[in-house]
Amino acid sequence: MEERRLARRMIQHESMVTSPDDFGKSVVALLPRLRRFARSLSRNQHDADDLVQNVVERAWRNVDQYKDGANVASWMFGIMKNAWIDDRRARGRRGEVALPDDSGDHPAVSPIDTDTRLWSISEAMGKLPDEQRVAIALVLVEGMSYKEAADVLEIPIGTLTSRLARGRTALAAELGDAT
Amino acid sequence: MSYDDETLMAYADGELDAALRAKIAAAVERDPELAQRVERHRALRAKVGGAFATVLEHPVPERLTAVASGAPASAAARGKVLQFPKRGTQVAGPRWRAREWFAMAASVLLGVAISWRVFTPDTGLMDASGGALVARGELATALERQLASNQPADSAVLIGLTFRARDGGYCRSFTVRATNTAGLACRASGEWQIPVTASTTPAAGGLQQASGAIPPAVLTGIEARISGEALDAAGEENAHLAGWKPDAAGAAK
Repeated sequence: MEERRLARRMIQHESMVTSPDDFGKSVVALLPRLRRFARSLSRNQHDADDLVQNVVERAWRNVDQYKDGANVASWMFGIMKNAWIDDRRARGRRGEVALPDDSGDHPAVSPIDTDTRLWSISEAMGKLPDEQRVAIALVLVEGMSYKEAADVLEIPIGTLTSRLARGRTALAAELGDAT
Repeated sequence: MSYDDETLMAYADGELDAALRAKIAAAVERDPELAQRVERHRALRAKVGGAFATVLEHPVPERLTAVASGAPASAAARGKVLQFPKRGTQVAGPRWRAREWFAMAASVLLGVAISWRVFTPDTGLMDASGGALVARGELATALERQLASNQPADSAVLIGLTFRARDGGYCRSFTVRATNTAGLACRASGEWQIPVTASTTPAAGGLQQASGAIPPAVLTGIEARISGEALDAAGEENAHLAGWKPDAAGAAK
């Protein structure tokens, strides 16, 4: 456990940023993970990439709020969580309903979406309540520790743990896993 | 010895301290049913993590790389002019500067007021009443009516978590944008008393929640009081509809 903590600290150290140039580099380096996190919050890769673009633009607009030495990944994941929630609420207000993808004609614009295993898990995650979905995405998809995920979501660890546990139970049921 | 699901989950995720981990490892050795439950958590984790891992293997679209590195051409092409501010330079024009100065001044005033427990007429959001700080004005209104699940992103006061305290009453965390203040308010005698306040990072835009986490003082205040877990959207709405009255049935003994 101690080693793991140490390793994490080293990773955090690597992602520390001290200049705007570094900031750009860090954001580029983070893109694959941002796309993955976004994909776990979206219906397809196209929507996910739109979310990533939105988040990256927000981050640049607010780069003056980024504190030196802070973990860029945590900062950006937090922005993504907020952007995603804002977007869900805006859709809700406009009365847009996320259509269930039962027609079979998924907009498989990205080769990523042709992965049927990914597709089925993504569909199942789409049925979870937002707060459980985000918890699952950060811990199971992004591999964050409970502490890191709780920090990104700005909730106590106990709340994170309980959302995660409920999300897992629901997800397992959704995937038809008695396993 | 039986373990609840959350504990087994934390065990499977490697989140337990060494002592409890060793205990569960020993129990898992002896109890095949327990071993199976742990295995289910591991299997789901591997399944979900493995499925999304494929996203990392695909090339990142160029439009994203361009925006991420801050290349102005891509932004211009999209009809937007993005600024790429350098640290220490002025970012967004004089309007922001005035607001930042105001926020800073208000924040200092509030800080002084709180430390002296004196009412600050400049903000009018809190009032020292009988030795306790009590929410007033816009803050009181937000605590009373605003739902975290449905609040405009640009509200003056942002509500964070709502939860039931150990004494059965409701508490809510909040952030006051203009003064960069975060705090915890608990409902008592028909008012919102504020046992904890802390300053948040001075932020110019709408990203307080993303950039500065709930200040540690507030988080500690939450953890010291919370009974069970934070309310979800439905729980929050019900509590609001019930006028934040402690529910005798649900109150912790």
